[in-house]
Amino acid sequence: MTARNPAASSAAGSIYDLGYRHYLGKRNGRAYATWSLFVESFRGVWGFGRPVSAKAAPFILIGLYALPAAIQLAFSSVIAQQVASTGRPVELLTYHDYFASFYFLVFFFCVAQAPELVCRDQRYQVLPLYFTRAMGRTEYALARLGSLAAALFLLLTAPTVLLVVGDVLMKPDTFKAIGDELPLALPSLPANAMISVGLASLSLAISSFSPRRAYSAIGIVAYILLMEAIPAAIYSVGQNAGWAWSDKLFLLTPITSLIGGVDWFFGQTLSPQAFSGTVTSGGYLAAAAASVVVMSAILLYRYRRMPA
Amino acid sequence: MALIETAGLTKHYGPVKALENLDLSVEPGIIGLVGANGAGKSTLLKILLGLLAPTGGRASVLGMDTVRETRAICQVVGYMPEHDCLPPDVGATDFVTHMARISGLPRTAARERTAEVLRHVGLYEERYRQIGGYSTGMKQRVKLAQALVHDPKVLLLDEPTNGLDPAGRDEMLDLIKRTGTDFGITVVVASHLLGEIEQVCTYLLAIDGGHLLRAAPISTFTQRTAVLAVEVEEGADRLAEVLSARGARAQLYGSGVLVAIDGDAIYDSIRDAVADLDLALVRIQQERGRLEDLFRDTVPTAGSLQ
Repeated sequence: MTARNPAASSAAGSIYDLGYRHYLGKRNGRAYATWSLFVESFRGVWGFGRPVSAKAAPFILIGLYALPAAIQLAFSSVIAQQVASTGRPVELLTYHDYFASFYFLVFFFCVAQAPELVCRDQRYQVLPLYFTRAMGRTEYALARLGSLAAALFLLLTAPTVLLVVGDVLMKPDTFKAIGDELPLALPSLPANAMISVGLASLSLAISSFSPRRAYSAIGIVAYILLMEAIPAAIYSVGQNAGWAWSDKLFLLTPITSLIGGVDWFFGQTLSPQAFSGTVTSGGYLAAAAASVVVMSAILLYRYRRMPA
Repeated sequence: MALIETAGLTKHYGPVKALENLDLSVEPGIIGLVGANGAGKSTLLKILLGLLAPTGGRASVLGMDTVRETRAICQVVGYMPEHDCLPPDVGATDFVTHMARISGLPRTAARERTAEVLRHVGLYEERYRQIGGYSTGMKQRVKLAQALVHDPKVLLLDEPTNGLDPAGRDEMLDLIKRTGTDFGITVVVASHLLGEIEQVCTYLLAIDGGHLLRAAPISTFTQRTAVLAVEVEEGADRLAEVLSARGARAQLYGSGVLVAIDGDAIYDSIRDAVADLDLALVRIQQERGRLEDLFRDTVPTAGSLQ
């Protein structure tokens, strides 16, 4: 016992020393443990329970990502007046285009926060403590994956909500506007869910291979940039050379696939958002789903084999 | 039911044989697991926890198989690893509470247990500070606290006194001893420091090169032996000669002489021999068995003295 606290270290019978008591209460199983880790990870992504500096990156990024929608909301009455006076429609941000326009901020969010989730435990060798508790390796990986996906969903859905509010405020009849607006916004939810799971599985699978944050972040950036650039390069060569198959390579791209998948949720078969070619938005959706399966499998495999 | 049982337990890391055909059966108590670095202590603990799969043979804790019933074992076992295992940017309270919840304790119970256990290991106001600012001694306490927080039946401690100064070591050993005796938790302490094992443990497992060297209650290692160690300032060799010539079983050992106790007359013989040779006698001491002797086979015993 420390010298600083003689009262508690004195012999038995001291008023402070209640002695050791056994725990006879309830013990929950692995589902509860996984949920606990999920909650802790979700808080960790946003920097809660960590120093203030850990909150900077996630909050700045969600602020920036929601900023265009917030601006549109702030100026909704001005825009409404202008439309009413000029009679010409104003081009507004749409639910459909939002991710395609500002995806790089979501990408930065993954680069900043995915290593935070999986590298710390490897770097500081905390994993043996998890694996010797009511939690298996698979549950650990799934809890981390779920928390990043949930955080990304929140990030993606924040501007959607702002857009709904802004668009409703532009209309004179609020209740009718809500009725009109919600069906338009609704495809955002499954689309955002797809983007969240897609980016979360990809960035965590890559991050889990290094205990160092910097290397993990570079790994994510490198993967996404290369997988976007290589198919585009081969396609541009292929167009001149007449390779009909070269546009199918876009199915390998991580971000373009997600943008194409978003189109499918908004009911477009051909994807004008994504690169041109014959790939349909349904094809992009399938590619995004396949990427989730492969990346999650890599993540789970990695944790299965991780020495502890 | 034996606490820990292994049968033919073998673990190879590629060509390296960490454990070879280990058979153990350990009863509850404070158990010392000694061996040099690389003897296989940590490997054995990790197999018991299900962190490693054995290459061959099987092991069980409280009758549960380490491969098939890993999760059930983890509910009743606390583990303190040898290495650092604490994230630096959270407070000890937050970290231990989190670990308690991962062990399945409901939120309120986790908080209460954390407060209790941290007080028990001797962390007070500093428990709210970030772990990164802790001394090695405080970190070791947090490591012990996270192993105790879910009230395990068995505590596996891997080198718990690593990196501690002598005072910190004594405190940690005292803590381990109280944990084992007062709370009825079985403790397995892996250490390469025999002195520590001697201080706290009731039972000893000695392993070397992956083989079991000996397993017995600690008292059998440290009983008094029927040998006197005689230390003189110089001329130990002459003393040994004279004693041998006068019929005593004596042998030069180190800078002293070991003499078998064959009746009380031996004390007089030693006194006379020292006086006759005009030597400066430093001390005569009855030898105790020492744990070091396990790993050294050259110490003469009463039986081997000529």
